[in-house]
Amino acid sequence: MLYRVIDAAELPALVDAFMERYEVIAPVRSGRSFAFEAVGSFDDIVLDYPTTITSPKKYVLPPRETLFEFDAAANEVADFVEEVTPRVIFGVHACDINALNSLDLVFRDARYPDPYYAARRDATMVVGISCTPSEGCFCHLVDADEARTGYDLFLQDIGGRYLVSIGSVEAANILEGACNPREATDEDRIAFRHATRRRQASFNPDIPNIQEVPMLMDAFHSDPFWEELGGRCLSCTACSSVCPTCYCFDIRDTMDPDGVHGLRERTWDACTSPQFAVVAGGHNFRADGRNRVRHRMYHKLNGFMAAHDRNLCVGCGRCVYACKAGISPIEVLRFFERKGADDAD
Amino acid sequence: MSATNEKAPARVVVVGLASCFGCQLQITNIERHLLDVLGQVDLRYWQLTSSDPMPEEFDVAVIEGAVTTEEAVRTVRELRERAGTVIAIGACAVTAGIPAMAAPGFAERAASVYGDEAPEACGSLRPPAPVSSVIAVDHEVRCCPIDPLDFVDTLQRVLRGSNKAVPTSTLCGECKRNERGCFYGRETLCLGLVTRAGCGARCPDLGRPCNGCAGLSPDANVASARAVAARSGVDPARLDKALELFNTVDPSLASKG
Ligand code: SF4
Ligand code: SF4
Ligand code: SF4
Ligand code: SF4
Ligand code: SF4
Repeated sequence: MLYRVIDAAELPALVDAFMERYEVIAPVRSGRSFAFEAVGSFDDIVLDYPTTITSPKKYVLPPRETLFEFDAAANEVADFVEEVTPRVIFGVHACDINALNSLDLVFRDARYPDPYYAARRDATMVVGISCTPSEGCFCHLVDADEARTGYDLFLQDIGGRYLVSIGSVEAANILEGACNPREATDEDRIAFRHATRRRQASFNPDIPNIQEVPMLMDAFHSDPFWEELGGRCLSCTACSSVCPTCYCFDIRDTMDPDGVHGLRERTWDACTSPQFAVVAGGHNFRADGRNRVRHRMYHKLNGFMAAHDRNLCVGCGRCVYACKAGISPIEVLRFFERKGADDAD
Repeated sequence: MSATNEKAPARVVVVGLASCFGCQLQITNIERHLLDVLGQVDLRYWQLTSSDPMPEEFDVAVIEGAVTTEEAVRTVRELRERAGTVIAIGACAVTAGIPAMAAPGFAERAASVYGDEAPEACGSLRPPAPVSSVIAVDHEVRCCPIDPLDFVDTLQRVLRGSNKAVPTSTLCGECKRNERGCFYGRETLCLGLVTRAGCGARCPDLGRPCNGCAGLSPDANVASARAVAARSGVDPARLDKALELFNTVDPSLASKG
C-alpha cells in the first residue's frame, strides 16, 4: 500500500477535483441525522459524521431499480440499459467499505454475476475516512474496523493533516493533481499510531467481546432466548432497510396504467418481512418473529461466515438505532455473555 | 396475443357506502391516465357520477365505505353474489375507518341522537364494520384517502394478474428507506410501528406521524409497540387511543375491550 500525507486545508481542492469528473456523494446533515447524498460543494460535507441512517449500499443496489421493460400487448421485452452515473462516494467509514466488499462477494460471484450491480460498482470510486466510534458501533468485534481493500483512497485524520492510503491509480492521479501529497514522516507515523489507539479506546465497552460467535450460534440454536428476542419484533423491516450488507431482493412486474407497458423491477426485500419465506402452496417456513429474527442473526453472524469466511454484520450499529424493539446483533452478544457468566457460576 | 385481449372487457361497478366519497373522487384524480384506465374496463355503474340504477350483471365490484346499515349489508351481499371480484377501497371499507369510531356503545349513541327510533332515511342502523366482516373481499386498496395509482395497480392485478407480493410488514422499514429519523426519538407518538406498509411511509416523510390509515397489519405486535412507546417516553395509552382513529373495530384489538 502506498501512503502519502496531505494537509487538511487541501481537502476542498481534492473534492473539487473529483467533482470535475464525477458526481460526488458524501455524508450531509439531514434533519437531526445524516445521509449520503450528492453534494455540490465541499462545505456541505460533514466529515466527522457519526453514522448515517442508511448506507452507501443504495448506490450499488438501489431500493428499487428497473431490470427491463416490456410490452404486454406485443409480448416483447426490451433490454433496459440505465445510464450509470460515474460517482465518488466520499467519506465512507471502514465498516461500510467492508460492507461493500461483502456485497461484491455476493453480486460478483463468478457463478452468478449481476450485471446491474457490476455496472454501478465499476463506475463507483470509494474514498474512505477515519471515524470515531459512536455508542452503537462494534465493527472492532466483527473484524470490520479496518478497511484493508475496497477503496480508492482512505483518509486517516492524524490531526490537521491526513495520512492517505492509495488504492487505485485513477485516484492517485487525481490526488496528485489536486494536492501536494508528500511522503509520510516518522512524526506522521507516530501520529497515526496515536490516532489508531485513541479510536480503539473509544469503542463502547458495554458491548461484550465474545469469541467464537459462529460456533455459539450453532450451540444455542434452540435456546428460549430467540423467542424472547424475536417475540418483540414488529415485522417492520427497518433493520434490513438500514443495513449496509442486507442484499435480499424481490423481483416484480409493475404495469403502466395503460395496461400495455410495464417494468420488471428489483426491490429490496427483508427476511424480517412476514412473507419472506412463503413458498408456492402457501407454506411459510418462518412464520413468526422468533424464526425470522433468529434467521436474520444467523445470516449476519454465522451463515455468511460459513460461505465466505467473514462476518456479514460489519458492526455499523445502524440497526441498533433503527430497530425500535431493541433487536440487534449486540443483543445476541449480550446473550452469549450471560450464558458465559451462567457457566462460570 | 393472449385470450384476455379478445375477451370483452371486465364489467365494473363502483359503489359507495358510509364514507366521504373521497376515495371515489381520488379515482378521478388519476387525471392523465383516467381515459387509459377507463378504456380497459366496461364501467357499468359509478355511484359518484350517475343516478342510474345498478346493472344486473358485472364482473368487478369496487366498494367504498363502511357497512353501517342492514341495507348496506344486503347491498354488499348482492354485490358479492354477482361479482367475480370484489375490491374494497379506502380506510372506511377496509378497516371501517372513521365511521367505526361510533361502534363502541353504538345503540346508546344512536339513541342519544335520534331518540327511540332513527328517521327512516337513516336505514336500519348497525355498528359500523368493514366490508370484509360481511363478505369475502378479494383485494384491498388501503389508506384515507386511497392513492389513485394504487387503485389502478390493484385494478391491473384483477384484470391481468400480478406477481407483486402484498406484504404485511409494518411501516418503519419504508420510513427508513426514506432516510427519516424516528418520531419516538422526539418523544412523539407514531403509529408506523403497527401500521401496514404500502403507502411508502408518506406521512413521516412529510414530517407528520403516521396515524394508521392503512390499518393495523395482521402481523402487528401491539404489545411490543406499547413497550417501545413506554421506553421512548410516550404513554402507551396514547398509542391505544390513537389507534381508535382508523382501527376501532380491528378484531385483534377487541380483546382489550
Ligand atoms: S446487522 Fe446491524 S450492525 Fe450489523 S451491519 Fe447490519 S445494520 Fe450494521
Ligand atoms: S439478514 Fe435477511 S435480509 Fe439481510 S441478507 Fe440476510 S437473509 Fe437477506
Ligand atoms: S428486528 Fe427490529 S427492525 Fe427488524 S423487523 Fe423486527 S422490529 Fe423491525
Ligand atoms: S415509528 Fe414512525 S417515525 Fe418511527 S420509524 Fe416507524 S414510521 Fe418512522
Ligand atoms: S403514513 Fe400512516 S397515516 Fe400516512 S398514509 Fe401511510 S398509513 Fe396513512
